[in-house]
Amino acid sequence: MPESRIAMNVRKPNPTTSVIDIEGEVNAGGELILMGAYNEAVSDGASAVVLNFGGLEYMNSGGIGLLVTLLIRAQRQGQRLLAFGLNDHYRQIFELTRLDEAIRIFDGEASALGDVP
Amino acid sequence: MSTILRAVSQLFRREQDAPSHVAAKAGSSLALADPVEIAPNDPLVAYFQSSVGAVDIDILSLDSPGLQALRGAGIKLVVPLVSQGELIGLLNLGVRLSDQDYSSDDRRLLENLAGHVAPAVQVAQLVRRQEAEARRRERFEQELRVAQIIQQSFLPRESPNLPGWRIAAHYGPAREVGGDFYDFIPLDDGRLGLVIGDVTDKGVPAALVMSATRSILRAAARGSSSPGDVLRRANELLCPDIPRNMFATCLFAVLDPFTGRLGYANAGHNLPYMRTSSGVLELRATGMPLGLMPGMAYEEREIVIGSGDSVLFHSDGLAEAHNGAGDMFGFPRLMGIVGGCAPGTDVINVLMAEMTGFVGGGREQEDDVTLVTLAREAAAETSSARDVGNEVLAAFTVASKPGNERIAIDRVAASVQPLDLSTGRLERLKTAVGEAAMNAMEHGNHYQPELPVSIRVRASRTQVSVEVTDHGGDQEIQEPQAPDLDAKLAGEQSPRGWGFLLMKSMVDDVRRTSDGKLHTIELVLHRGGDDDA
Repeated sequence: MPESRIAMNVRKPNPTTSVIDIEGEVNAGGELILMGAYNEAVSDGASAVVLNFGGLEYMNSGGIGLLVTLLIRAQRQGQRLLAFGLNDHYRQIFELTRLDEAIRIFDGEASALGDVP
Repeated sequence: MSTILRAVSQLFRREQDAPSHVAAKAGSSLALADPVEIAPNDPLVAYFQSSVGAVDIDILSLDSPGLQALRGAGIKLVVPLVSQGELIGLLNLGVRLSDQDYSSDDRRLLENLAGHVAPAVQVAQLVRRQEAEARRRERFEQELRVAQIIQQSFLPRESPNLPGWRIAAHYGPAREVGGDFYDFIPLDDGRLGLVIGDVTDKGVPAALVMSATRSILRAAARGSSSPGDVLRRANELLCPDIPRNMFATCLFAVLDPFTGRLGYANAGHNLPYMRTSSGVLELRATGMPLGLMPGMAYEEREIVIGSGDSVLFHSDGLAEAHNGAGDMFGFPRLMGIVGGCAPGTDVINVLMAEMTGFVGGGREQEDDVTLVTLAREAAAETSSARDVGNEVLAAFTVASKPGNERIAIDRVAASVQPLDLSTGRLERLKTAVGEAAMNAMEHGNHYQPELPVSIRVRASRTQVSVEVTDHGGDQEIQEPQAPDLDAKLAGEQSPRGWGFLLMKSMVDDVRRTSDGKLHTIELVLHRGGDDDA
């Protein structure tokens, strides 16, 4: 596993939705940090988790695999995953992998939060 | 001599126990006399050596401590044991049982006996000495084996394989192993650290100091990019622990395989020789050997190894080899041979043949001989027809270590900067390079740090090409299963396995070639046109 230069911060703007701010690299080495952040995000019963990719510097195929693992877990637990802050390049990669069909992508935090009832 | 005399004198009776005759009544009242010490320089020794037959102690007149001791022990008659002219012991006899003097028959019997005993004792002594010598030699051989095991387990098993370079090493240990060592240290940024050194002393102590020095240099090399700084830090770490009167000479160099730049610093080791088309240069840099005293600074120098040039690193063993007449091989001869080698010559083979010819067959090698050569292939050896019209923007290697694809990405990005690619194109190239490099490090080289991934970036007017080469050329090329998100979410495919899709989708063409040894992925990106292509 590569070391991951990654930092994650969990915010809870409302009772149903949590936001995970992702800073740095998303690769296979970030699994523990991402899963830890996700546990925290859903610990109070949130039904939707928004991934903020505004601070993303680098994501590779290992990181895509990690998001798929997270998605499997969210679907199993009946939670929704949303995302915003992706630049054009990574948005293209989400489309290429069809991750954008499973993780809805928004332009900003407000529109993402507004999509959760 | 005194111990020999003592051992034999113990054959005889103690006078105070019972006056005795050596040949009579053995068993019942036989007693051993106290050992009598006679110093080797006692005049008595010379007297016994030259005397013929039994000697009466009471009538002897000689200023001798040994004589006093014999009299003190009650010895009356001494029969020297002489074999092949060497005094090897004495038969000492006390007073006769009958209290009568020893008769001439007694004396003849004793002298006859001594004539038989002396050679037997001499043979026994010889056997004992040989056994002791054999035990000593066995201990020595055992220590040699230990030293060899330590030494050889720390030397590199193979030389690094860098495209465009031929790197070779020869290590020939002397029978009594010296402290030579060499090492190759792949650095994270694709450069190669190179060490050659020699620890004073021989055998196990030298081997242990050599292994410690090697480990310290490895750690220091990974923490700094400056050869002078690496030696300075190694010296600080080694000084407190190295045994007194021991030290290590050592040359440390760092090669950038792309530019040919060789930075180096020297802690008192032999100067390397660089062979160029215009002659041989000594690569000088000053510095004290490692482990002598703390607080040392090491001069740092840099040269560029051009196409067809080579550098020889060497230990004392070759230049200081002697022939039967006592002449030394010498540095001028060594330098001359290096200068006489044409580009592409196997310098190590040439030097070893010259050394054998000089020293003469059958002579034992005096010291370890260590040779390392670094040769940059001539331009004609590397260029291929495909290079025509293609400008090489960068060629470098990265060590196969998780996360190092970021180094590859950054260097490729820096090399294509003059091309002014659009942001989208540049990002796509970077992602593809990262995936190709990860694939090469993981699947091609199995993350073995000593196997680098070589990367070459070329550009023509219409396209950019990045070749990523690993050592997995013996593996079958197979297209991986196309990843499908639905299958992955349903648990029918692993969540991973996106690399090849990413790579293929990011660039305009992906070509794979394999030659049985090396495996190359070439990523081709058009320079103009639709950005979303």
